[in-house]
Amino acid sequence: MSGSLFTQDPRTKARNAAERRFRAYGLGAIVIALLALVWLLISIFSAGLPAFRQTFLTFPVMLDAAQLDKSGTRDPAQLSKITTITYSKILGQSLEAAIAAKGIDLGGAKPKQVADLISQESAATLRNAVLADPKLIGTTMDFSALASGRIDGYYKGRVTMESAALDKNTSPEQLALADKLKEAGMLSVRFNWGFLTMPDASDKRPEAAGLGIAILGSFMIMAVVLVLSLPIGVAASIYLEEFAPKNWVTDLIEVNIANLAAVPSIVYGILGLAIFINFAGLPQSAPIVGGLVLTLMTLPRIIIPTRAALKAVPPSIRDAALGVGASRLQTVFHHVLPLAMPGILTGMIIGLAQALGETAPLLLIGMVAFVRDFPGGLFDPASALPVQVYNWTQRGDPGFVERASGAIIVLLIFLIIMNTAAILLRRKFERRW
Amino acid sequence: MSFMKLSVSTAAILAASTFAASARDQIQISGSSTVLPYATIVAEAFGENTDFATPVVEGGGSGAGRKKLCEGVGENTIDIANSSSRIKQSDIDLCKTNGVNEIMEVRIGYDGIVFASDIAGPDFALTPADLYGALAANVAKDGAIAANTAKSWKDVNAALPDQALQLFIPGTKHGTREVFDTKVIEEGCKATGAYDLFLAASTGADDDAKKKDAVAKCNELRTDGVSVDIDGDYTETLARLDANKTAVGVFGLSFYENNTDKLKVATIDGIVPSVETIAKGEYPVSRPLYFYVKKAHIGVIPGLKEYIQFFVSDEMAGPDGVLAGYGLVPDPELAATQAAVEAETPMAPLQ
Amino acid sequence: MSTGLLTLLVAALAILGMVMGRSRAVAAVSGDIRKLHSLPFFYGRFTALLTAVPAFLLIVVWLLAQPLIIENRAAALLSPADIPDGSSKALVMTDVRRIAEGLDRLHESRTDIPALKADPAALKAAMNAAGVALQSDPAPSVIEAAEALREAQGRSRLYLSIAAGIVAVGGFAWGVSRIKPDFRARNATEVFTMWLLIGCSLIAVLTTVGIVASMLFETGHFFKLYPAADFFFSTTWSPRFGGGSSLGIIPLVWGTLYVSFIALLVAVPIGLMSAIYLAEYASKATRAWVKPAIEILAGIPTIVYGLFALITVGPLLRDWIAQPAGLGDSSSSVMTAGLVMGIMVIPFVSSLSDDIINAVPQSLRDGSLGLGATPSETVRQVVMPAALPGIVGAVLLAASRAIGETMIVVMGAGAAAKLSLNPFEAMTTVTVKIVSQLTGDTEFASPETLVAFALGLTLFTLTLALNILALYIVRKYREQYE
Repeated sequence: MSGSLFTQDPRTKARNAAERRFRAYGLGAIVIALLALVWLLISIFSAGLPAFRQTFLTFPVMLDAAQLDKSGTRDPAQLSKITTITYSKILGQSLEAAIAAKGIDLGGAKPKQVADLISQESAATLRNAVLADPKLIGTTMDFSALASGRIDGYYKGRVTMESAALDKNTSPEQLALADKLKEAGMLSVRFNWGFLTMPDASDKRPEAAGLGIAILGSFMIMAVVLVLSLPIGVAASIYLEEFAPKNWVTDLIEVNIANLAAVPSIVYGILGLAIFINFAGLPQSAPIVGGLVLTLMTLPRIIIPTRAALKAVPPSIRDAALGVGASRLQTVFHHVLPLAMPGILTGMIIGLAQALGETAPLLLIGMVAFVRDFPGGLFDPASALPVQVYNWTQRGDPGFVERASGAIIVLLIFLIIMNTAAILLRRKFERRW
Repeated sequence: MSFMKLSVSTAAILAASTFAASARDQIQISGSSTVLPYATIVAEAFGENTDFATPVVEGGGSGAGRKKLCEGVGENTIDIANSSSRIKQSDIDLCKTNGVNEIMEVRIGYDGIVFASDIAGPDFALTPADLYGALAANVAKDGAIAANTAKSWKDVNAALPDQALQLFIPGTKHGTREVFDTKVIEEGCKATGAYDLFLAASTGADDDAKKKDAVAKCNELRTDGVSVDIDGDYTETLARLDANKTAVGVFGLSFYENNTDKLKVATIDGIVPSVETIAKGEYPVSRPLYFYVKKAHIGVIPGLKEYIQFFVSDEMAGPDGVLAGYGLVPDPELAATQAAVEAETPMAPLQ
Repeated sequence: MSTGLLTLLVAALAILGMVMGRSRAVAAVSGDIRKLHSLPFFYGRFTALLTAVPAFLLIVVWLLAQPLIIENRAAALLSPADIPDGSSKALVMTDVRRIAEGLDRLHESRTDIPALKADPAALKAAMNAAGVALQSDPAPSVIEAAEALREAQGRSRLYLSIAAGIVAVGGFAWGVSRIKPDFRARNATEVFTMWLLIGCSLIAVLTTVGIVASMLFETGHFFKLYPAADFFFSTTWSPRFGGGSSLGIIPLVWGTLYVSFIALLVAVPIGLMSAIYLAEYASKATRAWVKPAIEILAGIPTIVYGLFALITVGPLLRDWIAQPAGLGDSSSSVMTAGLVMGIMVIPFVSSLSDDIINAVPQSLRDGSLGLGATPSETVRQVVMPAALPGIVGAVLLAASRAIGETMIVVMGAGAAAKLSLNPFEAMTTVTVKIVSQLTGDTEFASPETLVAFALGLTLFTLTLALNILALYIVRKYREQYE
């Protein structure tokens, strides 16, 4: 035994080694978690970023009065009888004419294949434009039409000449023609605002599907959840943690809340269907019902961390406040609550993040639906972001794969904005004593 | 003052709920996820070409859809239930108890069910007997029942490629599984002679019980990982095929037609599945698709009848219609359906 | 007066009450607030509460009751002959509401309403033009009911405004009149707050009651159709169309426990170690970035994890571990789903534990370090025991999330129920089957669908038992400092 302070004895060495190991474990754990995150984010972004760009065809459209308004009266009632099928034909003919005018060789593409370069959504857009302004009939207007899903996929690498040869819905001739159109400046790939503003579209037109309604719906749902679950959750936690007498009743409530957090989310859908729709008579597919159901689901997930955070505030704080004459409520609201805020906010972040990404409970209250009309309020049918992701991952057309990933990116951005706000708040409150 | 805020906001939300009393303007549809894509295509076109609101179409399964349809009459209930199988007597009874007395049945066409493998793999020419030999837990071997030990398609039928056996079949939640069981497995069971052996070995009380027993035996599938149940959608089957290139998966015809660049379809009894061969009845594995309309809602919910008429019109459900282009097999008796819709004929009791 | 405006008015009056109450209290002691029982703003708060709360309660109750009463009265005007065969009063009331709404709009723009009402066809045309889609010509009694409904709604709104106004002003006046220096305003407001807190905590209990009630009925149906003994003790799960299914819960429960166990095996060490590192070792700047980054893991939609399991992790485990070790060649396995799910629930453990560890008083650490313990010894022997209840809560929350997850299991572990010890076998969980049976194509009244409710209720009971166990453990091992 040397007993010198300058040479470490074996025991100290062992303890220091254990210390280093422990630290390395911690660092390792963080690295693993972050690697997983990076991997997932890379896979989401690489799959989803193409959804933000879209292929458009720009060409002059001749709005033939003979086809669109046989009577020649421009009577809106008559005009609205002309369906999108006619408008599709007009678009096809105009594109063919435009190609001929530029002197581009069709390269063996048949008229039907030329017309199929254009998305069917464009016919509806054109029809709406004409109905809004019947004076357009008989004129020639420059029109920017969405290209069909396969053509769009070609410029995003999803469709190749080889796959097109096997694909029933497109052909190498079409792709070759598209390349020529691009050279001639009629076809371009641009940023796709429509992805963020347009409503969902059916399986036949992945190129037109957008997140407009889903973003609006998610926003409304989250507003309801935030407004209801934060105050109710915090109030319930305060009562249970600070004021409730410690007896079997509170034990029961505590276990009960922990259990509610473990209830599979679809069960909340069953509950919501029974209470809000069948009993209270609220409408199906409405964001208000979605918000209420998710509030019930989120509450226990907020109460548990909030209680833990309250519990972690040292009793000395309470004793001090009570000692200088604060009432019990003042103690809690003025001293304990601010100190517990970081933990409460963490619980909020995680709870809301989950509510934002939840699909299963919405399945039973009619929100996992195809909605084309923008909702006017909390009681109109709407969709939600996770619902849109879920729907799109089920669609047969491969064009929806990138849309789903794109929707996930939007969902994550939504989430990061929410988190950032909470984190800024959390940092404001965080302290150690 | 957070509690003041709380009470104010709660009150505001409750107050807002009074606006819910206004009447519903859009059609609500729920049900089968197989019918869903067709219904959305029609709903979209309907919304675009008429002054009515675009119908709201939900998936959620045929059973749940029919249950919702039968929940009663009134705005808070749906108007149409999509279904990939015929309505059952229990649903009709439920409807009756809840005051839904008249339902219209509309058959929109047929759904073809195809077997497909990775595009780069070998061709498959299958028969129900091959599929039974690949999937069944017990097969007929030299005139006796034996546990299925086949490891490769070659073990099942020497004409098939020497490729490890793995099949992705629809899970027990899917209506497709019912068709798969009756039109493939049971047929194959009978064709290989296993059915007769099961029948002979059955200890049921009477002939009916014995037959039931034998059918149940036919439907016992392997549990050693050769047959994999898929509870998700065809997209999941496709992703799994991507991860296991040697497997064979079950798809809907329309899904296959949208992914012909990734999938190679197998023939059944030498017939290539297509809209035409299924419509002619040559390709054996298909099933009818329906939707059910609550008749009481016609005339109350705006556009309901127009929507049904639009759906069964030749432009949509006809042989050259939009839906056929997406892989729906048109119903040869569409004209009769159109007439029934026009006359608002409610469905007759089930036989 | 619209409800929104009324709400605003009451709120404005409450704010006025807050100001008035305060100033009156201060005036009552001529500025010397030491003579007041409570701080001045308590008097303001008291008046505000007395103004707003009864008025809002009245508005809420009124608005909830109004449709019931008024619509019943309007419905009484309908003659039975106007209700077509196969329709119902509720459905005709839909038309009544629609017409009432249309009449509202017409009253704004036209004057010839009585003439219109006499001519249903013209009324329909006018309504369609006003944007209210009527499908058929309304019957006279329907129009009458609609008019009655419209008038009653108008009257009711007027009465509500008057009543709410009286209640609010009355509360205001009473509140102001009670303000005296020795009035215990703080206690009064605190009693109110306390009841509010109790009410909020009851919502959780009500939710449980609601869940059990909404599932109990259908579960009863299920057990009428399917023997309970088979459900609880059978070891096979193979639902079938057209009857003859075996619906044993045991393989599902086993799958649930197995998957969740593996998920926790991944999440607890990683989550806890990152929490400790972040709370005890990391610099402030690192922590500020890393913690929110890890929290993103909890927000990534589970479908992404599902695809990750299906496409990447599954084949990886199969090719590198399962096949070489001869443990089977299924690409979907309990291990796949467990690993991926473990990653998803890391933030549940890490973030919450980090907050809890951070809240352990610094004096405990200082004492331990001062006695010569290394930081890791301090963490293990002093900080962790103090933080235990919170950490157990965090782990429970993670476990809850793992039990409730469907998408990752469906894609990672498959949909086939199996009873096996091999972690490289495909299995499935209770939750997956609840979702799939409930949203499947089987008819609703069949045991194959109703089993979802029985599964839900059983899982509910099971997690309840686990939670009670956890509570017991926490109570037993918790160490309270200070």
